[in-house]
Amino acid sequence: MGFVFMTSTPHAKRWVATFIAVFCLAALLLPLAGPFSLDLARVRERLEPDWSIFVQLRVSRTLLGLFAGGALSLAGALFQAMLRDALATPYTLGISAGASLGAVVAIWLGWQQVAGVPAIWVASLGGAGVVVAVVVGAALQQRRVSSFSLLLSGLAANSVCSALIIVIYGLVNTTQTFSISRWLIGSLDSIDYPTLLVFIAVIVLASLTVLRQAKAWNLMAVDPSWAATRGADVARMTFTGYGAGSILTALTVALTGPIGFVGLVVPHLVRTRIGADHRVLMPCAFLGGGVLLATCDAIGRTVLAPSEVPAGAVMAIIGGPYLVWVLRQRSTS
Amino acid sequence: MTHRLTVEHVAWAVGGRSVLTDVSLEIRSGEIAAIMGQNGAGKSTLLDIVAGLRAPTGGSVLFDGREAADWNQRDRARLVTHLPQLVRSDLPFLAGELVLMGRYPHTDRWFESEEDRQEVERAMRRAGCWDLRDRIVQTLSGGERQRVLLAACLAQTAQILLLDEPSTHLDIDQQLQCFALLREESARGAACLVVTHDVNLALSYATRLIIIAGGRVAIDLPADEAGRSPDWLALFSPRLVLSTTSSGRPWVSYS
Repeated sequence: MGFVFMTSTPHAKRWVATFIAVFCLAALLLPLAGPFSLDLARVRERLEPDWSIFVQLRVSRTLLGLFAGGALSLAGALFQAMLRDALATPYTLGISAGASLGAVVAIWLGWQQVAGVPAIWVASLGGAGVVVAVVVGAALQQRRVSSFSLLLSGLAANSVCSALIIVIYGLVNTTQTFSISRWLIGSLDSIDYPTLLVFIAVIVLASLTVLRQAKAWNLMAVDPSWAATRGADVARMTFTGYGAGSILTALTVALTGPIGFVGLVVPHLVRTRIGADHRVLMPCAFLGGGVLLATCDAIGRTVLAPSEVPAGAVMAIIGGPYLVWVLRQRSTS
Repeated sequence: MTHRLTVEHVAWAVGGRSVLTDVSLEIRSGEIAAIMGQNGAGKSTLLDIVAGLRAPTGGSVLFDGREAADWNQRDRARLVTHLPQLVRSDLPFLAGELVLMGRYPHTDRWFESEEDRQEVERAMRRAGCWDLRDRIVQTLSGGERQRVLLAACLAQTAQILLLDEPSTHLDIDQQLQCFALLREESARGAACLVVTHDVNLALSYATRLIIIAGGRVAIDLPADEAGRSPDWLALFSPRLVLSTTSSGRPWVSYS
């Protein structure tokens, strides 16, 4: 007996396994793409400059793309579940804008490090935290969070943060202008391995916290009262959701700048092609988002070589038309 | 084992406006209590408070003699289920997935077991929505969706059922089937608290009629007694009259 949904156990396992394989394949193959064509034999022999370019530049940058894209995409799926809206992202609530504002303030004031941690991380987390507190606080009525007020106050937070970024932009010197504007487009750069490892560790921890509760996210995505009357701890889910969602968003934004559509495109694609069950959706969104961002970056550094198209721009060129298509699908359904 | 739901002096006020002032009632296994009253009387509010979705401003709710707040959430979800008036989600869950969620408090496994799936199939067949299992919930009609939600509550195999207008959007035959299902549930030992506007369905299927008016329980009558003395009808409309059908059943019509 029994029956088969799209997300029956073997079906789910097969999809997640496929995505893991593609993620690993991307980690192996994407470092080979770039303006300088590597000689694999020389890399294997550890001959310069091929070896250094491969390890110091390409591999670290690819790993950053894979985990940053994964974090933003998972955060997208998470906020879509919490707001029960397929178009929600960390952008919608202004979290990403708050993190950007924090980072821009850090660049403006020339902060380098806070307690041994890059100041830009701390400032991003701080900005995201303030926005979450204000936006969620404003939408909180009678112990319930109203999604409508949430979206509205998120919109307000977005405008305020963007306005402040523009104000700061007018105050800074030319070098800072350059680094801020380059940062705001959203791009991947090669980073040193200690920083990368800390980043990956935090992202993996935050992601696992979210993923462990995938079954309960299904309930939350239907309705918080539905979740409560099926036995989920809604208060704890909301707390972990906003907490982990902010960490994923803020840390990634601190390292890459705000990269838009990955959190919208990937969860939506997975949902329409595979299903809405978060036990499959969330891991696939993470893995798929990572592959998409790392691929966009590989395209960006190759097509117009030697000049680079930032990954954020490649993603926007792909993501923008897709968003319009999503809206069309929505209005006809 | 008999289960009981106790509501003690529950009050609820919002923005200085008092909706419920003092509601007390007790429902036991085998009972189907129809909660009735005019629009805005606070029926759904009462059901939400009992389901733990709103905190009462006064009084308390007890399940099997234990304060609702003292229950572990999962244990409580195994005992009590709630059928909402509507769920509004933009995400494309399948009807079968929604019903499978009713198994949440019963299993710690990452994926549901074969027994869980069989429970889901049984619930969906009983609610007459098994053939909708692979449809996306938003594409269902109001009545189809209502049957899927009801199946999700059945799959939860709870002992206390809280249902907010379960027959909304259902055609007449489905309304009868829905209330017949509640009869089956109460026969196996469940206690049902049902908000409904349909006086005749309540008279035919409920064992008790509880009418909320003026923020308190105005009438609390066994259904067969309510079928004999029609005074309570005046709380709904002066135009209602109680008569008897040729088969001897009480029937409310309007003059």
